[in-house]
Amino acid sequence: MKKKVLSALMAVAMISSLLAGCSSKTENSSTETQTTETKSTEAQTTETESTESSYDIVVMPKLIGIPYFTQTGEGAKQAGEELGVNVIYNGPTTADAAEQVKMLEDYITQGVDAICVAPNDAAALDPVLKKAKEAGILVLDWDTEATKDLVDASIHQIDDQELGEHLAQKLVDYMGTEDGEYAIITGSLSASNLNTWIQYAKEYMEAKYPNMKLVTDPVGTDEKQTEALSKTKDLLKAYPDLKGIIAVSTPAPIGAAQAIAELGLQDQVSVVGTAVKEDCQEVLADGSLDLGCLWNTQDLGYLTVAVAKSLLDGNQLTDGMEVEGFGTIQVSGDKNVILGPPEDYVK
Amino acid sequence: MKKFTKRKEFGIILIILIMSFILTIVSSAFLKADNIIDILRNNAVYGIMAFGMLPVLISGGIDLSVASSIALCAVVAGKIMTVFDTNIVIVFIISMLVGALIGLINGLIITKLKIAPMVATLGIMTVTLGVVLLYTGGTWISGLPEYFKEFGMAKLGNIPTKNGLTLGIPSQVIILILSGVVTWLMLRYTLIGRGIYAIGGSEASAVRVGYNVDKIKVFIYMYSGIMTGIAAVVHTSIVQQVDPNTFLGYELTVISTVVIGGASTMGGVGTVLGTTFGIILMGILQNGLILAKIPTYWQKIVMGLVILIAISVDVINRKREQSKLVRVDVEG
Repeated sequence: MKKKVLSALMAVAMISSLLAGCSSKTENSSTETQTTETKSTEAQTTETESTESSYDIVVMPKLIGIPYFTQTGEGAKQAGEELGVNVIYNGPTTADAAEQVKMLEDYITQGVDAICVAPNDAAALDPVLKKAKEAGILVLDWDTEATKDLVDASIHQIDDQELGEHLAQKLVDYMGTEDGEYAIITGSLSASNLNTWIQYAKEYMEAKYPNMKLVTDPVGTDEKQTEALSKTKDLLKAYPDLKGIIAVSTPAPIGAAQAIAELGLQDQVSVVGTAVKEDCQEVLADGSLDLGCLWNTQDLGYLTVAVAKSLLDGNQLTDGMEVEGFGTIQVSGDKNVILGPPEDYVK
Repeated sequence: MKKFTKRKEFGIILIILIMSFILTIVSSAFLKADNIIDILRNNAVYGIMAFGMLPVLISGGIDLSVASSIALCAVVAGKIMTVFDTNIVIVFIISMLVGALIGLINGLIITKLKIAPMVATLGIMTVTLGVVLLYTGGTWISGLPEYFKEFGMAKLGNIPTKNGLTLGIPSQVIILILSGVVTWLMLRYTLIGRGIYAIGGSEASAVRVGYNVDKIKVFIYMYSGIMTGIAAVVHTSIVQQVDPNTFLGYELTVISTVVIGGASTMGGVGTVLGTTFGIILMGILQNGLILAKIPTYWQKIVMGLVILIAISVDVINRKREQSKLVRVDVEG
């Protein structure tokens, strides 16, 4: 029996590696054909318009196939068209750092001009990004930070502190009181960006509104709307005086708002959180979600490509500098580019 | 009473009783009709899928494809609803057909190509997930029709409560109960049901006795697929939009629910009653840890421990019975 199990497991491992191999290869080849196509068309246009050769810029999300990274990809591709650079938007189908490393190795071998990556694990990408730098490739991170020393610029969707404080302030505004109980629900207890926002929100609350009471530690919802729905209901039962909820990660505020709607508590309990604009319209309309906010996802992709091109052109990164196609940008520290303040979605 | 303590489900019933007792003491909200109904509704999707997974595990197989197939069923059902003017019955039937089709493919690969169920369903899981991502690009489907929203909030019974809401058995819970009853009848009173236990006990003997093992296996995987199709519509009726990525990891929750309920991944054992208790235990755990105000970071630890205890009690019970059998053999 043991042998049977072992052989089954080995077969599983083999098949999955085979499948993984197939999928990434087909993706690669399809993007390659795409890029060669765009190259040839662009070669024609550049011949007539200018003599400037176009850059190959790889923009790699954590994974492809989720709405967030589909939208950032649209922005990146749009920037590619408008700025006349080849944007290769590709990433693994699961949020896997090892898969990212493999793909980046391939792109380094191909000899691209810039690599912009949203790392699944910063440390795991260190060697491959080092290799890219040695090969003279411009390296940027976006969405999530890579190791600081290895990148030429770091594109942030938002100032983490600003978003955390914004959520806390808005919750107090909608609750209409500075004296009440609130709870925080989050997508995952181990996601560093979510934890950073929560930390800033809590600190702001403690400092500015000491009478606001956080009833329990942030509650994880596994990035699932159903979990957010049931956990919110449970929280309301455990803490009947709960008057406000901050929900971070995009499915969480929608699930929380649904719980409020099902219990008919729209006027008693306020919900604010990070949500994708298109997906939160229904809960905003029935009043169960008071405020959704996020950055403009398409702009994030656009800005990444625009900054990469500007640096490839030989410009130095400075605060308030003008970037072609985007306008002036906000730079904090020596290489953190910040997209801008959060966008609010209300009824 | 002695007979009761010897039942396979005894361990898990004991754990559920102890937990409920503690939770009732620490939280006044626990033992209330609306909370019990919430627990059942929140776990209806896992429950329905667990009833589909039970025959698979009894037969000694495994179905890893359920998480991907529920995603595909939900996406198809969501699209049908937003594009065509149809009704809830048609939506259910189409979703069940999609699930059955995936089950049929699983079953045929396992029986005709003689590929191990774990490998076959893993392959189908990956292919199906690929189809879902290709088709949706990961975007949500929203704007579902009014009749579907009504179905999602529909209740049997209408007892007014003090906060202005009404109490009744939600549509999702009714479907959960129906799935359990149908699975119970199928396993207990049909030839196929007996055959499933026979295959799990010993496939060679089942063939010798005259069961058409291949046909039964194909049926098992189709049954799991159909239940997944039902679960897809039930899930969508709760959240009122389709997020194709939300089902990640469902197969593990479903399989562990069935295993906690006394089924064995080696096949041959498992009952609908046990699975029902498995669903209840998982539901109480999720719900109770928040109601008991246990700090979030501790919840996973407590959850893992309770699951371990539940399974250990079961295994120890079984071992004891077996050792008795051996002794009788030696002495006799």
